[in-house]
Order: sequence, then structure tokens, then C-alpha cells
Amino acid sequence: MGPMDHSQAVEQMAAERYLLDELTPEAREAFEEHVFDCHECAMDIRAAAAFVDEAKAQLPTLTQAVLSPPSNPAKPRVKRDRWFMGLRPGFAVPAFATLLLVLGYQNFVTFPALRTEANQPRLLPSTQLHGATRGGPGVTITADRKHGVALPVDVSPQPGIAPSMSYSFDLFDSQEKLVWTGVIAAPAADEGGDQRITLAVPGKMLRSGSYTVAVSGVGPQGERTPIERYVFAVRFAD
Amino acid sequence: MQFHSFDADYVARLCAGDSQTQEHFVAYFTSLLRLKIRSRLRSPQAIEDVCQETFARVFAVLSKDGGLRQPERLGPFVNTVCTHVLSEHYRSTGRSDSLDSDDSPEPVARGANALDIVASRQIREKVREILLDLEPRDRSLLHAVFLDERDRDEVCREFGVDRDYLRVLLHRAKQEFKTEYIKRIGNQAPLGANA
Repeated sequence: MGPMDHSQAVEQMAAERYLLDELTPEAREAFEEHVFDCHECAMDIRAAAAFVDEAKAQLPTLTQAVLSPPSNPAKPRVKRDRWFMGLRPGFAVPAFATLLLVLGYQNFVTFPALRTEANQPRLLPSTQLHGATRGGPGVTITADRKHGVALPVDVSPQPGIAPSMSYSFDLFDSQEKLVWTGVIAAPAADEGGDQRITLAVPGKMLRSGSYTVAVSGVGPQGERTPIERYVFAVRFAD
Repeated sequence: MQFHSFDADYVARLCAGDSQTQEHFVAYFTSLLRLKIRSRLRSPQAIEDVCQETFARVFAVLSKDGGLRQPERLGPFVNTVCTHVLSEHYRSTGRSDSLDSDDSPEPVARGANALDIVASRQIREKVREILLDLEPRDRSLLHAVFLDERDRDEVCREFGVDRDYLRVLLHRAKQEFKTEYIKRIGNQAPLGANA
């Protein structure tokens, strides 16, 4: 495996995976080879590591209240008794039978369906969004729970503004709660010089209500520049 | 899209023993090397030994006639040397003699000065601010992952989140922290690199 390229490192959140020890040995070496050669990724991993190191020093005091053991010492024992109850023959036989049913359903119904979904082209209804900061009206999208929606977003740099190396997308629900975030390297410009990224949201993730997509440009030092916010409402057809 | 890179001029100054360049070189790569070595070795002494040995060998190659053929590949070269030193360390585990050779130059770490101390305090405060902004549950999640060093999947199940959530939590904290970090420690791009 050769070195990871910059786009792969950004898209795969390799710095975070590296610190969380989630990379395979091959991917770890490929990322290291890239980090030693890329000033931006080097700063990224150094900042993340410095944050984690300092957080390790501070977290014990900040989480003390949450992590302190319960005052009633009998409680864990009750919990353990309940757990061992499940191993008694009277409970084990029906529990095991239920487990077999679940496993069978997953193997013969759920997993093949997921595999099919992951390995085949998918058709998604696409809706053009209008930026909220440009005074565009919020769009109502009629979606179905099976397919979800595709939202093409124009990230072409505005005149006089330097293009970003990558773009960050934050999806907020109607309560302004962040439900998803992702980073993608800047796409190649099309023939007209425009850069477009499509955000595909699976139907299972959507609920009826309003959503906001906040798009930011990410600079060489990781600084974020808000570009646009898109507001849309989802209504289900099924 | 502009990347900083080490160039022939930088390597020439490094080979010539320019103290400012050497100091920059050591400061830039020490943290990267420690991260790499820490992911493979546990002993602080072994980590330090491998790190120092890597620097010693890199300087030994640079000081030879011809030096580095591709100065722009200085970073990957440091990484390769470290990988070799690590391999030797694995093979020689249990060996009593030091990895350092007597005649290799040994870079000296900078001592903390007043500015470093102020920067450290500000970095501490920034981390505290970020941690306090998190939901208590997210703080406990980070605690379980980084301090208790528990199995990630088990922790995620317990907190009712998936691995993506954990990654995003760290990503957002890092992004918020990074600006302050760069401001405090300096960019440390290669000297003379075109920004």
C-alpha cells in the first residue's frame, strides 16, 4: 500500500481514526507516510494529539461527578443477579431460540438486503437547494423512506475569494441539533468552472420537519469559513 | 491549493549546522515521531530512545557527502528512518546497550521559556473551554475512550452511539482547538517555505 493522498486523508478522517487506533496496520503506515510529507495533515494530527493529551489531564476532574460510583453499593449486585438469571436453564432455552430466530432473519433477510443496497447503483430524487443567506426560500422536499434524497450543492468559489482545500457539511435537525457532519476534499471543477457536491441523505435518517445544511470551506490550517446555509423541510410521501 | 514543503535550501542549512534550522527541524518532527512511536511502543524510555536514534541517523546521513538526494522528500525520509529504527528495536528488545552511538550528534530539546509557559496555559484553558462546552455524556465518552482505554465498540454500545459519532466528536473538538493551537505554538512550516 502506497502513501495515502491528501483527499483520502481528509475524507476518511484519517487523523481521528489514527488517534482512535481505528486504522489497519497498512492504512496506519500509509497515513504516516503522508503525514510526514504533508504540512497540513502534520498540523492536523499534532493539534488533535495535543488536544487529546491535554484532555486526558483535565477529564478526570471534569467527569468526576458523572463517573463517581453510586452511593448505594447494593445496586450493582442486583444487576449481576439479573444477568446470571438469564443463564438459568428456564430462561436460557427460550432466549436461545429467540436469538436463533433473530440471527436467521438477519442472515436471510436483513444482510442480503443491505448488501444489495451497498453494491448496486441507487436512484435518488434530487432537489436543488437555495441558500438561506442569499434570501432564498426554504424548499419543501417530498421524500420516501426507502430512497432518501440527494441535495446538489454548489461550492464554486465566489470571485475574489480563495478556493478551499476541502468542505465541511453539517446537518442540523429542526431542534438545531447536529445530526451529521462530514468533510470532503474540494471536487474538480466542471467544464463551466463550477464545483458541485451532492449530499445524499438516506431515508431512514430523515424525519418530517425542517433541516439546515451548513457548508463551510476548510483552509490549509483547518480554519473554517462559513459559505452558505441551506434550509429545507422534509415531507414523506409514504 | 498550496502545500508547504521542505526544499534544498532548508536541507542545505540543516546540513551546514544552522542552529535555527536544526531547532525547527527537531521541534517539527519530534511530535510526529513520538506519535508514530507511541502507537507501537509503551515504554516512555524506549519511545525517547527510538526518537533520538532516528534524529541521530537522519543527521548522520545529512552530514555525509551528497546528503539527501531528494531534499523535498525529507519528511518521508525521516519516517523511513524511524520505521527502520523501530524494526531494529523490536529485534533487539531485551538488549541492554543503548541505541545511541557515541559519535552521532544529538539534538537537544528546547527548555521551556516564559513564552512556552504562557502558551501552555492558554492551550490548557482552550481545551478546558472546549471540554466544558461538551455535553456531560460526551465528556464521559472521551474519558472512557482515552483514559479508561476501554474497547471502543463496547464504549459506543454503552453510550448508545456509533463509531462515526466518536470520530465526529473528536474531529469537531480538534477543529475548534486547532486555530488556538497554531496561534500559540506557531505554524512551524519549514523555514523559507513559500506560504
